[in-house]
Amino acid sequence: MRGRNKDRERRDIRKTRRKSLKHILKTTAAAAALVVAAPAVHAEPLKIGIIESLSGAQTSTGRLFAAGVKFGIDQINAEGGFNGEPIEVVEYDNAGGATEAADKFRQAAADGVNIVIQGASSAIAGQITEDVRKHNIRNPGNEILFMNIGAEAMELTGEKCHFYHFRFTTTAPMRVNALTNAMGQAGELGTKVMSMNQNYSWGQDMQAAIAAAAENNNYQVVDEVLHDVNKIQDFAPFVARIKSAEPDTVITGNWSNDLLLLMKASGDAGLDVRFGTAFLDQPGNLANAGATALGHYIANNYDNSAGSEEFAEEYKSAIGHYPRFVEPQAAFAAGMLGEALAGLDFGGGEVNVTDIALALENAAYESPIGTISVRAEDHQTIRPVVVSKVVENATYPADDTEMGFQSVAVVPAEQAIYPVQESCSMERPG
Amino acid sequence: MEFLIISTLNGVIYGLLLFMVSAGLTLIFGMMGILNFAHASFYMLGAYLAYALSPIIGFWGGILVAPLLVGLFGMLTERYLLRRVHAHGHAHELLLTFGLALIIAEVVKLFFGDFPVAYQIPDDLRFAAFSVFGTDYPFYRVFIGTVAVAMFVVLWLLLSRTRVGIVVRAAERLPEIAEALGHNIPVVFMCVFGAGAALAGLAGAVAGAFYPTNPNMAAELGVIVFVVVVVGGLGSLKGSLLASLLIGLFSSFAVGIDLSLANLLGLIGLGDWARSVGGLLTTEVSSISGTIPFALMLLVLLVRPAGLMGERN
Repeated sequence: MRGRNKDRERRDIRKTRRKSLKHILKTTAAAAALVVAAPAVHAEPLKIGIIESLSGAQTSTGRLFAAGVKFGIDQINAEGGFNGEPIEVVEYDNAGGATEAADKFRQAAADGVNIVIQGASSAIAGQITEDVRKHNIRNPGNEILFMNIGAEAMELTGEKCHFYHFRFTTTAPMRVNALTNAMGQAGELGTKVMSMNQNYSWGQDMQAAIAAAAENNNYQVVDEVLHDVNKIQDFAPFVARIKSAEPDTVITGNWSNDLLLLMKASGDAGLDVRFGTAFLDQPGNLANAGATALGHYIANNYDNSAGSEEFAEEYKSAIGHYPRFVEPQAAFAAGMLGEALAGLDFGGGEVNVTDIALALENAAYESPIGTISVRAEDHQTIRPVVVSKVVENATYPADDTEMGFQSVAVVPAEQAIYPVQESCSMERPG
Repeated sequence: MEFLIISTLNGVIYGLLLFMVSAGLTLIFGMMGILNFAHASFYMLGAYLAYALSPIIGFWGGILVAPLLVGLFGMLTERYLLRRVHAHGHAHELLLTFGLALIIAEVVKLFFGDFPVAYQIPDDLRFAAFSVFGTDYPFYRVFIGTVAVAMFVVLWLLLSRTRVGIVVRAAERLPEIAEALGHNIPVVFMCVFGAGAALAGLAGAVAGAFYPTNPNMAAELGVIVFVVVVVGGLGSLKGSLLASLLIGLFSSFAVGIDLSLANLLGLIGLGDWARSVGGLLTTEVSSISGTIPFALMLLVLLVRPAGLMGERN
């Protein structure tokens, strides 16, 4: 009985195999006919891969970068896209880690991505920029461009600089110089400054920048602290250290919990210091810090109170909320890409990334607070820096509170920029 | 002198917070041998539930009800999830709790968003308990410490002085014999797990108002809680308290110490050489204060693997 069933099964399998083989041949023939018969209507789209922290600890920041980029690209597509096709945007989740980012870059390269965009971590950007550089050496003619929209470590335009990397954000010296300058002019800097930073590339850059700006701004650095990144739960010992150093101002590049816990701890201890920060506008900070946050400063790429209402309203109607935190700089980077692409014409054929890079070098983008241009020597954007203060009853309140940021000064691009680093020796193509 | 007193105070309070979070884990691991990766997630759930409930039933209401809800959730987890996997061994239980931790983290993000939520201490609790050398010590920190001490005392009395405690300890030692004597061992285990989860929930509800309540809370505190349990001795409540205090004190004192190996080598004349080498030799103790608990764990595992007060078995 069993044997007969087996035979029947074998016959059935052979029948279905023959049937499916016929089916496959038919569809292949049809497809081949279609390909040969149809004319080449399809042009080569520009492919952008956003390799971001879309899960894990930095999800909130990564998602904002992705949202800002998408807003900018949607605007370009609304005006016809590029090369006869809408620009394609694909998201890759690097889960907040450099190894995963390297993996996702390989995948993006295999998917034919022309431009890679990332911003939520200097460590990850360091990985991606090296991967891009090596890819471009091994694949001449099929280069990939890396648009860095948020990683601020100096080495990316220093020893790790290369022709296919562009930085569309500020760096530690840009922020610190603008901050100390504006706070000094407002009479809120004092003469004793303490540096409190995270112990990795970004934090170390901040510490160096704070020390370097001391002379020009008439202050002395009374203490410098580097601490573990996002591991410290209890900042009370650090507050004790601040207390013993007795500074007028504490300048810190801390972000996420490191900033929030530091400010809360110093508020709870009744410490009378002013904080100059780089990332106080991270969503959730003002709501959590509460009244402790009032009166503290931030230096960043953009603030709604410094720019035009137009941009804020446009963003709100497209995305649903006013632009916040890193969304503006991401949108401006996409806008700058649009400027560069506007002057190029590949006639629907293959996308030449080197030409795009050359066009970017000459692009100038009119942001609501000033022109953003690219410095050819190290591909750092020359851009204005905004310094703002946390106030009550702000024009653009943050986090469902009454508090928000009010811009105090906009440092013009030429004043904010830092000198080209000697460690950058860029090899130009051709 | 000021440095000593302030660091001790900070260290003790931080240590008590760590104990508050890890007490439940010690209980669960000691009693049931389950390494509960989702313990820090229960902590996070407690904070978020207290945040969600406090507009409705007030801050104190939130602190009382949230742990009960988390305890209930813990009991359901044990009854319907862990019990099935129990027969397959500890590795499977660990994997299940690990998966549970991931799911809880994503569900929290789904309901409450990616950003930290504004779970705040009510204004009438925002005052300085006392002032030490000009620095205010917030009352709420002292409150957290008090809750931790109360937790320890209650647990210890419960386990050593009550009938319930005797049954629980018997169930841990020799479950079959305890069952043969007529005690409902599965129910005991379920209640112990629920109690452990409720303790984590209470810790979350209390500490979440002080520290930012965000979706990464579990990941941030989760690792250090395991360090506490390992250093203290798996299953030992007193060991857990001792380990938390040690970790708190070491981390606190380390922040004020700007010495590095180069300074040590300077004592024998090799200071300049060490400074020219750089790297690890010039890393100051203050910049690795967050890593000290792990160094302590390594030391304890090398010297006394059962933990400071664990049983050698």
